[in-house]
Amino acid sequence: MIKIKDMKTGYGDEVSFIFPDITLEKGKITTIIGKNGSGKSTLLKSIAGIIPYSGSLRVNDIEIMNLAPRERAKLVAYLPQNLKSVNIDVETLVEHGRYPWHGSMRRLSVKDRRIIDEALNITDMTNLKSKSLSELSGGERQRAYLAMVIAQDTPMILLDEPTTFMDIKVQQKFLSIIENLKNSGRGIAAVLHNIEQSFAISDFIYVLDDRKVASYGTPDELIKEEGLLRKIFGVTLRKSEDPSLLYPYETIK
Amino acid sequence: MKKTVLILSIILIAALVLALFLGNDAIGTGRILEALLGRGSVSENIIVFKVRIPRIVAASFCGAALSVSGYILQKDLNNRIASPGLLGINNGAGLFVLISAVIFPYQSGVKCLMAFIGALLVTFIVSLLSKGTGMSKTSVILSGVAISAVCVSVIDLIISLKPETVADKVAFQLGGFANVQINAVKFAVPVIIISLLISLVTASAMDIMALGDEAAIGLGLNVRLYRTVHILCAALLAGAAVSLCGLLGFVGLMVPNFIRLIYRGNSLGGLVLNMLAGAAFLLVCDTLARLVAFPYEIPCGLILSILGGPFLIGILIRKRKRLGLDD
Repeated sequence: MIKIKDMKTGYGDEVSFIFPDITLEKGKITTIIGKNGSGKSTLLKSIAGIIPYSGSLRVNDIEIMNLAPRERAKLVAYLPQNLKSVNIDVETLVEHGRYPWHGSMRRLSVKDRRIIDEALNITDMTNLKSKSLSELSGGERQRAYLAMVIAQDTPMILLDEPTTFMDIKVQQKFLSIIENLKNSGRGIAAVLHNIEQSFAISDFIYVLDDRKVASYGTPDELIKEEGLLRKIFGVTLRKSEDPSLLYPYETIK
Repeated sequence: MKKTVLILSIILIAALVLALFLGNDAIGTGRILEALLGRGSVSENIIVFKVRIPRIVAASFCGAALSVSGYILQKDLNNRIASPGLLGINNGAGLFVLISAVIFPYQSGVKCLMAFIGALLVTFIVSLLSKGTGMSKTSVILSGVAISAVCVSVIDLIISLKPETVADKVAFQLGGFANVQINAVKFAVPVIIISLLISLVTASAMDIMALGDEAAIGLGLNVRLYRTVHILCAALLAGAAVSLCGLLGFVGLMVPNFIRLIYRGNSLGGLVLNMLAGAAFLLVCDTLARLVAFPYEIPCGLILSILGGPFLIGILIRKRKRLGLDD
């Protein structure tokens, strides 16, 4: 579980975002939604150690600010938004996920190998493990990188806009993998742009606006908050029983 | 990988043997063997142990150093035409070598240290321009060319005002091994060996950094530390090489790009192959430089420029878009 208290963060010396109280739980999917520039990605990057912050950030009751980078990476894995198409095969990429545990010098153990195979299996990438990343489609590459962060074997996984550039079919496959990860006990925190998708997959949602948390709660709680989504996104969300819909929500202008 | 290492090792050994036994000195193969076995005359011993072997050691280590320096820079800047020559690092080192020759003549250790400082200074300027300003890859190369031009102008100025600072102006500016001194080899080679070892030990960090800074930090890599170490290594290697062979260009461009064509594995393998290929390539070029205009000798850098110019144009034309030069 990640507990954030009085986090002040931003780019450069300027404090642009203040997050007084945020909890991201294990075994749950928490999504963060908001307009561009509201601080969604900044929040995840601060947790991952990419952007400096002040305040308290505890993972499983361990204050991680002063942890060495590799120790932090044993607790929190981070999948960035922009994934590079480097010229290495999928298996090598997934092996990089074991870096926090074995460093540069040690060879992969039997346990490492088992975790890597499992990550490839969970993401359905076993058949593509010998392929170069540059030969993969965008969705396959995203899954390959997801396998890498799964192999990191952390209690919490942070995903920064993982579905933004995927077609709908690929998105569904990706989301089902996330669901399985949650069911296996991992905590997932994801920044999403699609509100319907966020409400459909989340156990808990943080809505950011104007560089701070505007509201939070379960999807059922938030949908009842009158005017919240309209004020931020200019739309309203309504629950729907229509089985032909991709997600059980309808967006109303 | 193992097969490629084996082939390159055989080529390197062949290049070493040829470089040792072929030459324009008045000494035959049999006499060289006698000298190696400790039965040579005084003049033969001088030719073999004070001229030929230091030159071979210098050429092979400079080849490995410049190739690995180019490989590291290409990885760090994510730019396949980055090389210590094109980015002005060699000329930065050369400028500081000349400054040291003016202030501390005959001090090989100081020369090596100053070359490193010059190389480091230019490397950090280029790295800052690349990472700090969000400059495009093409602009970074052009900035290197501009820095290089400034360094060359100051080098020319120093040589014009103090012609005694370099024994052979043309040889220094083109680069070569005709004037290699044993003392300089004794200072530069350990620096090259240590830098190569550090590069090998930190090779896996290069692979992780290739995924981008955010992914690398997410994996727990201390990106700032490793980037600094790699830049230091690239600068040390280029600086040490320039202190031995002058402003030798194109090795750091040609060899890493050639290795890229035959090997697509991890950085550790890339570094090993660059060391072997760089050493063999520069040995062959230097042997050619000694023999091609027999009984005269041409600067090794001349051969490299003749090969390197078309090579650069070739990769620019063939891989223009893949290199990301249109950004």
